[in-house]
Amino acid sequence: MRPILLSGHERALTQVKYNADGDLIFSVSKDQQICVWYAHNGERLGTYHGHVGAIWTVDVEPTSTLIASGSADNTIKLWDLKSGKCLKTWEFPTAVKRVEFNEDGTKLLGVTEKRMGHLGTIVVLDIKVDVDAEQSDEKALTIVCDESKATVAGWSYLSKYIIAGHEDGSVSQYDAKTGDQLVNYNIHELGQPITDLQWAPDRSYFITASKDKTAKLVTARDLEVLKTYTADTPMNSATITVKKDFVILGGGQAAMDVTRTSARQGKFEARFYHKIFEEEVGRVRGHFGPLNTVAADPTGKSYCSGGEDGYVRVHHFDKGYFDFMYEVERERMNRLNQEEQQRQQKEAKEAAAQQKK
Amino acid sequence: MASVEKKHDWADDEDLDETTQELPPPQRITNKDGSTTVIEYRLNDAGQKVKTTRRIRLITHKEVVNPRVAERKSWSKFGASAKDSTGPAPDTTSVGENIIFRPSTNWRKDAKAEEADPNAVAMKDKLKDKQVKTPWRPSARREAAGLPDETPAAGGAGAGKKGSYVPPALRGGPGGAGAGERMGGAGGKYGERDDLATLRVTNVSEMAEENELREMFERFGRVTRVFLAKDRDTGLAKGFAFISFADREDAVKACNKMDGWGFKHLILRVEFAKKAA
Repeated sequence: MRPILLSGHERALTQVKYNADGDLIFSVSKDQQICVWYAHNGERLGTYHGHVGAIWTVDVEPTSTLIASGSADNTIKLWDLKSGKCLKTWEFPTAVKRVEFNEDGTKLLGVTEKRMGHLGTIVVLDIKVDVDAEQSDEKALTIVCDESKATVAGWSYLSKYIIAGHEDGSVSQYDAKTGDQLVNYNIHELGQPITDLQWAPDRSYFITASKDKTAKLVTARDLEVLKTYTADTPMNSATITVKKDFVILGGGQAAMDVTRTSARQGKFEARFYHKIFEEEVGRVRGHFGPLNTVAADPTGKSYCSGGEDGYVRVHHFDKGYFDFMYEVERERMNRLNQEEQQRQQKEAKEAAAQQKK
Repeated sequence: MASVEKKHDWADDEDLDETTQELPPPQRITNKDGSTTVIEYRLNDAGQKVKTTRRIRLITHKEVVNPRVAERKSWSKFGASAKDSTGPAPDTTSVGENIIFRPSTNWRKDAKAEEADPNAVAMKDKLKDKQVKTPWRPSARREAAGLPDETPAAGGAGAGKKGSYVPPALRGGPGGAGAGERMGGAGGKYGERDDLATLRVTNVSEMAEENELREMFERFGRVTRVFLAKDRDTGLAKGFAFISFADREDAVKACNKMDGWGFKHLILRVEFAKKAA
């Protein structure tokens, strides 16, 4: 596969995101602009200007009408996806590290930083999915994280829970209606921050990446750790692929530690693990800085990664990727095929018998 | 035209080409497998007839596109890309090097095997041989003499770690010269030097010339190569030279005789050249 290099940013990437149809890629970096790209050829559709600080996060509303971004200039901005116009700005006392729309795009959560005497919070905003509508100023909900600040957060299935990953390596579950904390588990090594949280397509489970060099697959309902993927370097991002049962992990030595290491030692590779067997099945090299963010195409055809080096690399998978199967998977597929054939033959026989009658 | 073609001798070909400017009509043949063969004739710049045969297979590739996606493809650009024309702009989008990515359960082993596999290296060398197959190349000479080809083994260590850069000095492992990778080695200007019959001459006068040295050393036997190191800017000799003999015995003789010989007010020091590290 030939990766497409997107060089629209001048500074380190902070997040990349596909829209629901997988045809657009949104990228944000510390250079204060949001870029949107066509996934199929890497053509830049446009940029969104207005933030006056590093942009930490971006999310696309499920119908691809709006996008939201959170920045170090203490604002969340809502944008018209098509025209690049800023529709609304919400101000906060501290930087916004993560935004995410819920499944139907009517709610937006934002994670604010703990700084200058302010505690880290998770805020929920009501969104009207309409470019011309007046958005409300009010916060629908504010969850204060008094123990350890939240670094990442997201909406579970049916917007039932808000799941947050914390700086101390724990994951907590909040009731999305009331904001009450239901549970909090230490799933990662204590004191190692959770760097990313991304959902499976149905939002019933998610993957967390942590600086403790692991990524974990966790259920949304009872925060049960299903799988653990162990790497040899701190992880910045993890994502779940569709079509194939893989997870992609991105990381590498922190930017401040890499000056004296070569690209090879720095482990700046996207790592592919089998989702079920927790086994590493391959790596993709290319970045010359740690991978800050990875995202999988919701249609399963590609993935992209954003690095500290300022590049986004979009990879469209080859046939070899789709052909890969474990022996047990292959056996299972053959068995199912056989059963299907037998069933069809039986049906054909029966149909023939009926016709005779 | 056709009758002329039937009779004509191949030796007349060129004349024919010059005289007949008429070109046969293009042909279009439908093959059994569904492909089409198109044969076209044209004249090139030198006035020669050129026959172009193309086999074309048309494959209809149907793709169902999400209408929302199709609609978005026609959107006009905005922001910093507003002025860009359709298609990826070269300043923001480029295509990277091809990456071979094949998920595999034992990818770690595969990666290592690829690095260490001598067959792969030998194959690489063979490919190289094909590219520069010249009779005077040592490997070719060895092949002609029925000797085993050393290059894969020697080059094997040099090119061993595939993908990682190995400084020239470290290629070929400790002590051994990586014949496959060295500049003077395979495909190099001098082929593989026979270091056994090469003398290193030091304390050579600045004013020395290569032909003077050659004359001096030719007394002992056939000299295959004289190399006098010269300063690139001034053109003056740097004070050392290498003399290669065809025969090692001649080299031994020359070494014994010429060591301590006076040449242009300086006393030469002659010794056998050490193999380049």
